[in-house]
Amino acid sequence: MDNFFLLMEGFATAMQPMYLLFALGGVLVGTAVGVLPGIGPAMTVALLMPITYSLEPTAAIIVFAGIYYGGMYGGSTTSILLNTPGESSSIVTALEGNKMAKAGRGAAALATAAVGSFVAGTIATVLLSFLAPFVAAFAVQIGPVEYVALMVVAFLTVGALLGSSVLRGLASLGLGLFIALVGFDALTAQQRYTFGSPFLADGIDVVLVAVALFAVGEALYVASRLRHGPIKVIPVTGGWTSWLRKDDLRRSWKPWLRGTFIGFPVGTIPAGGADVATFLSYASERKLAKGENKKQFGKGAIEGVAGPEAANNAAAAGVLVPLLTLGIPTTATAAMMLVAFQRYQIPVGPQLFESNSALVWALIASLYVGNLMLLVLNLPLVGIWVKILQIPRPYLYAGILVFAVLGAFSVNFTPIDVIILLVVGILGFFMRRFGYPIAPMVVGLILGPIFESQLRRSLAISQGDPVALIQSPVAATIYVVLIVIFALSLLLKRRQRQFEAMVAANADAADVVRGSEAGTAGAGADASTTAPSVTAPGSPTSSAPSSPATSAAPSSPTSPGSDRKDTGR
Amino acid sequence: MSTSVQNSPGSGTAAAPGKPIGELVFALLIVSIGVVGFVAGAGIQTPPSASDIGPRAFPFAVSALLVAVGAGLVFQVLRGHRGSADEGEDVDLEAKTDWLTVGKLAGFVLLHAFLIVPLGWPVAAAILFFGAAWSLGARPWWRNLVTAIVLALVLQFVFGGLLGVSLPPGFLEGLGIFGG
Repeated sequence: MDNFFLLMEGFATAMQPMYLLFALGGVLVGTAVGVLPGIGPAMTVALLMPITYSLEPTAAIIVFAGIYYGGMYGGSTTSILLNTPGESSSIVTALEGNKMAKAGRGAAALATAAVGSFVAGTIATVLLSFLAPFVAAFAVQIGPVEYVALMVVAFLTVGALLGSSVLRGLASLGLGLFIALVGFDALTAQQRYTFGSPFLADGIDVVLVAVALFAVGEALYVASRLRHGPIKVIPVTGGWTSWLRKDDLRRSWKPWLRGTFIGFPVGTIPAGGADVATFLSYASERKLAKGENKKQFGKGAIEGVAGPEAANNAAAAGVLVPLLTLGIPTTATAAMMLVAFQRYQIPVGPQLFESNSALVWALIASLYVGNLMLLVLNLPLVGIWVKILQIPRPYLYAGILVFAVLGAFSVNFTPIDVIILLVVGILGFFMRRFGYPIAPMVVGLILGPIFESQLRRSLAISQGDPVALIQSPVAATIYVVLIVIFALSLLLKRRQRQFEAMVAANADAADVVRGSEAGTAGAGADASTTAPSVTAPGSPTSSAPSSPATSAAPSSPTSPGSDRKDTGR
Repeated sequence: MSTSVQNSPGSGTAAAPGKPIGELVFALLIVSIGVVGFVAGAGIQTPPSASDIGPRAFPFAVSALLVAVGAGLVFQVLRGHRGSADEGEDVDLEAKTDWLTVGKLAGFVLLHAFLIVPLGWPVAAAILFFGAAWSLGARPWWRNLVTAIVLALVLQFVFGGLLGVSLPPGFLEGLGIFGG
């Protein structure tokens, strides 16, 4: 019951009007930035880092909690309403949600995503509040040897699973570890890889590298292959109060719950983050659907939005368990949250629940609050999100660059950092171009120094005997258990890719068939279902009679696999 | 590099025709970073008092990882397995790479770095936004300019003035609301 009182105290903190305002701000900004196409949750946290530079730790952490959940939510709005293939963790939502929106059911898709995210987020946050203290109590007892074991596994899973190619993931991890080495060695104060430059002596700031990789790299990459032509936002019809019909609700509530209980456990283990959870949920909904509903899969089944969206949010809460109790981020977004903590000298790791318990519980309480705010705000504000989706792309990416240089400059207030930002950003550009995942690099960069010091500490205890690293029974157990998880995840990942290729192929085929039907029936029928648009009436982009034939992915034999694959970002 | 890429499910790589020179160079770059890591790592001083494995061991391990993985990637690329380029809502994978725009954007960021100190952050940021928007194809120029100036002033006001981030205000020096 002790933890319950601590949680209540957390609520007492988070419910103070000032902090409620901060939470509201975080949620709004997080959603708004998360809605922007091309900006995933990790980049949202990275770009918004400067906002909190002048805030005190509690306020900053509450803002980040809002940004974290808001960014997650914003992504799903994008993939439902934007008529282009999106990014990894919301790709499954796009599969059915986008189809629903095209069929004039966008409102229902958004509503089931919003309510599902709320249900899953709330249940998962409850699970987090009960599970995290237990894991933390276990974590404080483990020594450096066990910690090394945990981190080896974290490295392996992050490097091998966050991305489509194992070697590229490991290369990305290695680059991150390498950049982390630049500067003074923490234990002996020797300079490493500074090449005599005073600018490198203090090391390269993590925020700088993260902003460079996520924001500058992305802006350069998108610029190199910018999709031209009008932005096709699918209009949302009807008032938002009548969005979830009885029938929709009846079909949604089970997927919400199933998604929650799939997403949370997957989030807590290092198995590749939210993507795997959304895929698992989608696959199981597809399997469990019966009769008429089953036929709708691939053409806009509401279960295919409700389940994965719930799983996505539950996984986002699950990821916080290893992050808050062990200090081990398993996704890029979690890595950015860790950076945010580090900036405030909050030691994330096993001691966090003891040394900063008030702060942690305020964070958890504000997750509940933020979740509720998202539910209340998002549906009425959907008109604003649609407006945001229509920002002209040149302005969007120019703005991202300006924000990136702002973030880089405000790290140390020296223009040199902006140049380092550019150099690392160009590296990020080539990594995207050649299919190297970004997330392992960021995780390596952040965990590298902690890993090295724990490794050296354990070897100092054993007087240099490496066998000691696997002799401790706990460490050995961790290795064995996590090797099993690792193997399972790899298997899962493989199945996910095959499944996605299959689903995408089916969906495209269905599109082509429907496209030819719509072609004969005339685009008029299509337009009439979407005509009473509440969003941006009269805008040529929103009332585009998006005939499936023209909007479907180019049905060349090359498209299915390459269009909808998972890059783990 | 506009060749379409076909994914074989599960492998995460793809076989495609065309010359993957850029990709090969990048893989070789990873190998050479590892080699540099070894060479520069040998120069790291180890204090005689060190009671543990010292400051050199981990850099060597990371360098070894980079060399091994990089070599593996070179091998993979040579055998015709290529990485699948990243996707996004605004990315058109069929499009030809627009190197000119990438170069312009990089140039404007570099210019921005040199302008912050002499001209102040708002001016440097406005120039960056204006240049980047123009490079990405936004027209007409006067609308870009107005947007750039408004954005720079708003950011300076919010971050410099309200949030207390010490951005050099340049010509706004002395105006309290801009953090001057």
